[in-house]
Amino acid sequence: MKGFLLTIVSFLLVVLVLNAGYYREWFQAKPAQYWTDFLKEKDDTLDAIGIMKSRYGISYVISIRVKEVVQKRNLVNPVILFEPNSYYRDSLHIYPNVHAPEPAVFYYYTGLEGVWINSPNVSKANFLVRVSKKGVSLDAIKTPQQLQQILAFYKKFTPIL
Amino acid sequence: MPFVLFFLLFLCYLVSGYGVLTLFGMRLKTAYMITLSLLLGVAIASMLPFLMQLFYIPLTPASVFGSLFGMALLLNIPTIRRIRKEGFTAIRKTFAMRPFRILSAELPFLAIFAFLVFVSVWRCYYLPPTSRDALSGPEAIADVAVREHTMINSFFNIDLWSTNNQFKSPFLISLQMICKMAGFPFGQVWLSIVFISFTVFLYHAMKEKIHPIIAGLLLLLFLMTPEMYAYTFMILYDYSNMIFFFLSLYFLFDYFRNKIPAHFYFAGLLMGIATYIRSETLVLAFLFLPPILLTQIRGREPVKKIALANLFFFLPSLLGYYLTSQLYIKYYLPVHYDIGSLINNHLSDLHPLFQRYTDIVTHLVASEFGIHLWGYLFYITAFLFLAEGLFRGRYNKDARNWLYAILALYIGIGALGFALPMMNLNETTKRALFKLLPLAVLYLANNNLLIRLSQWISRWEGAPLAFTLIGKRSTASASARPAADRPAPGKSATQGKSAAPAGKSRSSKKRRNK
Repeated sequence: MKGFLLTIVSFLLVVLVLNAGYYREWFQAKPAQYWTDFLKEKDDTLDAIGIMKSRYGISYVISIRVKEVVQKRNLVNPVILFEPNSYYRDSLHIYPNVHAPEPAVFYYYTGLEGVWINSPNVSKANFLVRVSKKGVSLDAIKTPQQLQQILAFYKKFTPIL
Repeated sequence: MPFVLFFLLFLCYLVSGYGVLTLFGMRLKTAYMITLSLLLGVAIASMLPFLMQLFYIPLTPASVFGSLFGMALLLNIPTIRRIRKEGFTAIRKTFAMRPFRILSAELPFLAIFAFLVFVSVWRCYYLPPTSRDALSGPEAIADVAVREHTMINSFFNIDLWSTNNQFKSPFLISLQMICKMAGFPFGQVWLSIVFISFTVFLYHAMKEKIHPIIAGLLLLLFLMTPEMYAYTFMILYDYSNMIFFFLSLYFLFDYFRNKIPAHFYFAGLLMGIATYIRSETLVLAFLFLPPILLTQIRGREPVKKIALANLFFFLPSLLGYYLTSQLYIKYYLPVHYDIGSLINNHLSDLHPLFQRYTDIVTHLVASEFGIHLWGYLFYITAFLFLAEGLFRGRYNKDARNWLYAILALYIGIGALGFALPMMNLNETTKRALFKLLPLAVLYLANNNLLIRLSQWISRWEGAPLAFTLIGKRSTASASARPAADRPAPGKSATQGKSAAPAGKSRSSKKRRNK
């Protein structure tokens, strides 16, 4: 009987903690939500790329799209220049929902070399990923002058993560 | 197929870690032996690919898995010899076998632990969130290393101006590589082994001291630490660092109590692993030199022996630091990184130091932000700390050890933030505070008020008094004795002797415990 009473006490203690102050809010938002997600995810048939798309979001989707275009066009040694995230924030107002991956992360996603406008080897850039309200495009940078014009345009936007 | 490989890896970790434990002559409760074996096995696995890299051995699946299985065999040569002599009973002898017992009152806690663990394991396996620090460094390096068979790979040829994560310990790279080679595209299932092993260890460690209901409650508060729970399925360094740092202190304090030299050196090894994971742990390790010296001086040990013992204690930490932060970065990586340039140039201006100490308390702990990070665990700890001082007037020896550890860590983390400005408050310092969490719950497990409450519950339920104040109980190695088997205070002197290490007299143990 005493064991049973102690079990009731334990049960009440668990309920108390799960409903106490911030714990309640956190438990609902995280572990309980993860459980709901699990019930959906257990029947998923997504492959690794599909899972990564849902995990990393638009940044990963853009990166994979760039990789597909590079493969489709058989581009040799592409070095991809990304617009600064502060441009998306201050001019397009789409940050942080849309943001460019930093070069290290872009390499992880795609195996391709990327640069930002303040990268030491930005001069190697031969393609530009341009995000606009119409969509995403991969434009060739054909001459050093064109690259300088692009850099001059984005100069006032300080790169941010 | 990945799950078969995972099972083999699991066995490999278990056997490797068990080999290390037997090399140190550790004889602990079964729950401790298994969980420590797994944790040590994961630690060994995190070092092997790195060591192979230092010798420029190509990191192919054959060489990596071969080295893991080879190391498991190598570490178990003494065990194999004993098995050949005595049969498999030789393994049973290394466990302090106790009957496995779960009270019905533990079941509600075990159910919620199982839920939290399951959710974490699923997140780890299926949809692992990855921090930017991992993506822009170790995770990317590991991913490329699987293809290129070397950690020094094409990742270092790209533009890395925005990150310094490529210079961090190869701990994550190695473990991620192994899991990816085993067929898990996101790696990181090793983290679930670490999480579950540590949770089980901690629960048993607390049950040594307090009633299972209170231990369950404390563990629930620990697991429901919002910020830390996220790192049970998100790979980074701090969660694993916290575990090995805590385990080191656990065995160090056990050495303070019982003077078993093997536990002292084992604590040194664990601190070395913690330093290998996060190099700045070296500084924190040296903050425990004063109590170590004090214990050794009180034990009237000769100076030469003290010096030698301490050298062996700190050697793993020094090696863990040197191999990852000096040798590897300076002589192997193709990218230059001047660690000296990271040090604060204005060390004579102490204002930022005190500001950092203030910020840790006011911003990271005692604030709404602090509650969002740690729940109410620190508030409960502070309340019971004050209550113990107020009502009991003193703190027992074990509680004092854990309180010292909390204070040393606070001082150390603040000083590191001051000396290394890159250790920012909201990220690096915040994660460094993980290490405080198990220290806080172990302090609470040694809090006299909670021990009294445990005794009261035991008396009420008519069970033998299992929880005794440190000054009154047997000094036999607590880690080898489950609470349920511990005798009432009046009987402890004679019964406790049976679990004492060979060669230790009761009277000498009594003297040490004063």
